[in-house]
Amino acid sequence: MIGATTGRDRRPNFRLYLAVARLSFRRGFAYPQAALWGLITNAFFGVLRAAVLMALFGAQPQVAGFTVQDALTYTAMTQLLIAAFSLFGWSELMRTIHRGEVGTELLRPHHFLLFWTAQDAGRAAGQFVLRGLPILLIFALLWPLSWPQGTEGWTVTALSLLLAWACGFAFRFLVNCAAFWTPDAAGVGRFAWAVLGLSCGFLMPLAFFPDWLRGVLAWTPFPCMLNTSVELWLGVRSGPDAWTALGTQLAWAGALFVAGEFTLRRGLRRLEVAGG
Amino acid sequence: MASYWTETRSLAGLYLRLLGAQARSQGAYRVSFALDALSAMLITAAEFAAFALVLPRFGAMTGQHGVAWTLGEVSLLYGLAELAFVLMDLLFGGFDAPNLSGHVRSGSFSTFLLRPAPLVLQVFGSDFALRRLTRVLLAAGIVAYGLSQVEVDWTAGHALMLLGSVVGMIAFFGGLFVIGGTLTFWTVDSVEAMNVLTYGGRTLISYPMDIYGTFLRKTFTYLIPAAFLSYFPVLSVLGRPLPDGLPVAAAFLAPLVGPALLAAAFAFWRFGVRHYQGTGT
Repeated sequence: MIGATTGRDRRPNFRLYLAVARLSFRRGFAYPQAALWGLITNAFFGVLRAAVLMALFGAQPQVAGFTVQDALTYTAMTQLLIAAFSLFGWSELMRTIHRGEVGTELLRPHHFLLFWTAQDAGRAAGQFVLRGLPILLIFALLWPLSWPQGTEGWTVTALSLLLAWACGFAFRFLVNCAAFWTPDAAGVGRFAWAVLGLSCGFLMPLAFFPDWLRGVLAWTPFPCMLNTSVELWLGVRSGPDAWTALGTQLAWAGALFVAGEFTLRRGLRRLEVAGG
Repeated sequence: MASYWTETRSLAGLYLRLLGAQARSQGAYRVSFALDALSAMLITAAEFAAFALVLPRFGAMTGQHGVAWTLGEVSLLYGLAELAFVLMDLLFGGFDAPNLSGHVRSGSFSTFLLRPAPLVLQVFGSDFALRRLTRVLLAAGIVAYGLSQVEVDWTAGHALMLLGSVVGMIAFFGGLFVIGGTLTFWTVDSVEAMNVLTYGGRTLISYPMDIYGTFLRKTFTYLIPAAFLSYFPVLSVLGRPLPDGLPVAAAFLAPLVGPALLAAAFAFWRFGVRHYQGTGT
C-alpha cells in the first residue's frame, strides 16, 4: 500500500484536517439556488409528514411518551437533519474508488479515513447551517415546538447530535467501501439507505414501533444515528439515562470507526487502479 | 387506414425492441440486478412498513373533520398511488428530468434528433428500469391487502372508478415528468422544483386528503386537481360522501384530469423541442 499512512511521521496533522473541514463547509454555500429549492422541498415534505403524524394522534394527548407537540418537533428535527446526516444516502467515496481517483488521493500525505471524516464534518456543518436551521425556523413559526430542557438538556442534545453524525458517517463510509469489492456498490448503497431510513427512526420515531422490532433494533447501531438524539432533545430520555444513551452512541461510533479503518485497509490491499 | 395500422405496428415493434435491448443489458449481471430489484422495492416497503407498524398503536388515522381511516382504507389509497406512480415511472422514465438532462448535457439528445425514428418514441424507450417491476408487485400487494380489508359493494361503476384512478394518475404524473424533462432544455435547476410536484404529489395523495389543512386540500383539489385522481374515487368506493358537497360524478373524472394534463405537457414538449438548441457537445 502506498500512502502517508505508512510514512515515518504518523502524527495526524490537525491543521490540515481543519482546513479541509473549513473548505468543505464553504462548498455548501456555493449553490444558493439549489439550497433554496432543497429548503422548499424539505419544508413541503415536512408539512405532509406533520399532517400524517397529527392525524395518527387524533384526539389522543400522548402516545408512547410523545405528545403531539413532541411529534411535530420530531418531524422538524428529522427534516432539519436530512441533509446534514445524508439520510438519503451518500456515494462520494464510492465514485472516487470507481473512477480510480482514489489512487491519486493515496499519494497525498494524509490519513485517508481522517481526511474523509474532516471533509464530511465540514459538509455536515454547512448543510446544518444552510438547510437545517432555516427548516427549524419555518417549523417553529408554523407550530409550537418542544425544546431541550436547561443547560444539561442542551448539552446532552448537542453531544448526541455530534455522536449521531459520527456513527452515521462511519456507517456511510463502510457502505461506500463496498466499491473496493464490487462494481455495483450503488446497489449495495440503495439497500443500506433503505434499511437506514426505517431503523434509525427517520421514517417514524422508534418509540411508536412494536416492542419486538425495537428489541431487534436495540442491538444495532442504527438508533444511535438519529433516534437517540431526538429522544434526548425531547427529554423522553433524561438524567442518568441520557448519559447512558450518550455512552452507547460513543461505543458504537468507536466500533464503527475501527470497522471502517479495518475494511479500508483490506480494500486498499486489493485495489487495482487502471492506468489512464 | 391500412397504412396507419402498419405504421402503428412498426412503431410498437420499435418501442418493444428498445425495451428488449435495455432489458437484456440490465440482465447481464444477475446478482447485482437482483440486489437492485430488491432495493428498489425495499425503499417503498420500508416507508409503508413504518406506517403500517405504528398505526395499531394509534388505532386509526383521523382527518380534520373527525372521519377515521383504518389501515386497510389507507392501504388502498397508498397502494393505488404507488402502483400508478411506479407504472408511470417504467413508462415515462426517459422524460424524468435527471435522466433527460443527462442526455441533453452529454449531447446524446442531439443524436436522438438525427435518427430516423420519432423523437418521443426514442425518449420513451431510453430509460426502462426493469428493476422497478418488484415495486409494481409490492404496490399491487398493498392494493390487494387494502381491498381485502374494506367492505366494497362491487359494482361495475366502482371497478371502473379504480381503474380510471390508476390510468388518470399514470397520465397525470407522466405529464409532470414530461414538463420537468422539457424544462431541462433551458435549465437544470428545475429538477428539484419538479420533485416537489412529482414525488411530493405522490406522497400527498398517498394519504386521505382530509388530514391536511383546508388550504392544502383546496389547493390540491381546485388549483392542482390531484384530489380527483385517487382520493375521490376511493371515497366513493368506500361509500363516503365527497367533500364540499361535490357530486359522485366527480369521482369519475380521473381519466379526464390526467390525460388533459398529459396533453398540455406534450404541447409544451413540442414547443420545447422546436426551441431546443443543444449544449454544443
